[in-house]
Amino acid sequence: MTPLSEKFLDSLASAAVREGLADAVFTRLSSPLGRLLVVQGAEGIVRIGFEEEPEDRLLADVASSLGPRIVASDGETRTARDALSAYLEGDSESLALPVDLRLARAPFRREVLETLHREVGRGATISYGALATRSGHPRAARAVGTACARNPVPLVVPCHRVLPSSGGVGQYGGGVARKVALLELEGALRSPR
Amino acid sequence: MIATAVALPPFWSLVEAHGDELLVHARKLAGEQHAEDVLQEAFLRALRAYPRLRHARHLRAWLYRITTTTAFDLHRSRKREIVTGEPPVVPVEDDHDDGGFEALIAPLPEAARTALILRFVEDLDYEAIGAALNCSPVAARQRVSTAVRSLRERLTS
Repeated sequence: MTPLSEKFLDSLASAAVREGLADAVFTRLSSPLGRLLVVQGAEGIVRIGFEEEPEDRLLADVASSLGPRIVASDGETRTARDALSAYLEGDSESLALPVDLRLARAPFRREVLETLHREVGRGATISYGALATRSGHPRAARAVGTACARNPVPLVVPCHRVLPSSGGVGQYGGGVARKVALLELEGALRSPR
Repeated sequence: MIATAVALPPFWSLVEAHGDELLVHARKLAGEQHAEDVLQEAFLRALRAYPRLRHARHLRAWLYRITTTTAFDLHRSRKREIVTGEPPVVPVEDDHDDGGFEALIAPLPEAARTALILRFVEDLDYEAIGAALNCSPVAARQRVSTAVRSLRERLTS
């Protein structure tokens, strides 16, 4: 049985997008942080997953909120792929991609992540407490931690820039090593050498 | 698009799981030259109908039925194009979301029809088809494949 060609699959996905039949488009991207799964809806990126996350569960979660008509295409996600690759490989200093935070689900978590996306740029960091205050919930530092831990769009919504006020880099949904690598890439943390 | 009440698997998981065998099926019906066109159109039809499905069972068989009816529709519209020189008409889809599979196989001999229904409507494997038809799984596979051939003859006649 000959497998379907890449050309066929990409043409099918493009036709689906063109006819408005795709609720979301995903792509698998190799990066210095390992393989990423990037899912894009009509309004922006809805989900980025690191390679440890089971793909079927991640896509099922997207389907439950955007709809089940999910297709794969490198071509239809070209802008996001190029921007992420350039950023993570150090060829670009900005990662200005539209995001759709509906998978954050709770309005509070969404607000926190929107504030973070809007206000904390490359090279900067912020504490959980300060982010709580900036999002208008000064006492909710702990809940801000949860919002960051469940950030559906890591990298683009920069939860890696949120650090504990007690020092150290703290936790990261994608693992501490990735958080350190990102902070070093952005010059917020000096590399040990 | 609003999320559907039924938890349907992400569509692409069906493409990745069944696409290769559906291409083989499309080749049997439409020949090498048209197989990919048939399959692409079949997947697009499936996508159109997908959010309306009322359950997530037997999706593989459902895709086989759509691929089958699409092969016939595209063949008919190609013929029409040759005869009249007019652009192909996109057929209207029916309520069953599989393009009228059962109507399509209705003119076939009963044995062929039964084999196709067990395989592509009931979604049985060859073991179970063998049990239903009182023959071996190997014989069951042959009956299905003979039935697909007679479909193909009907398509090209």
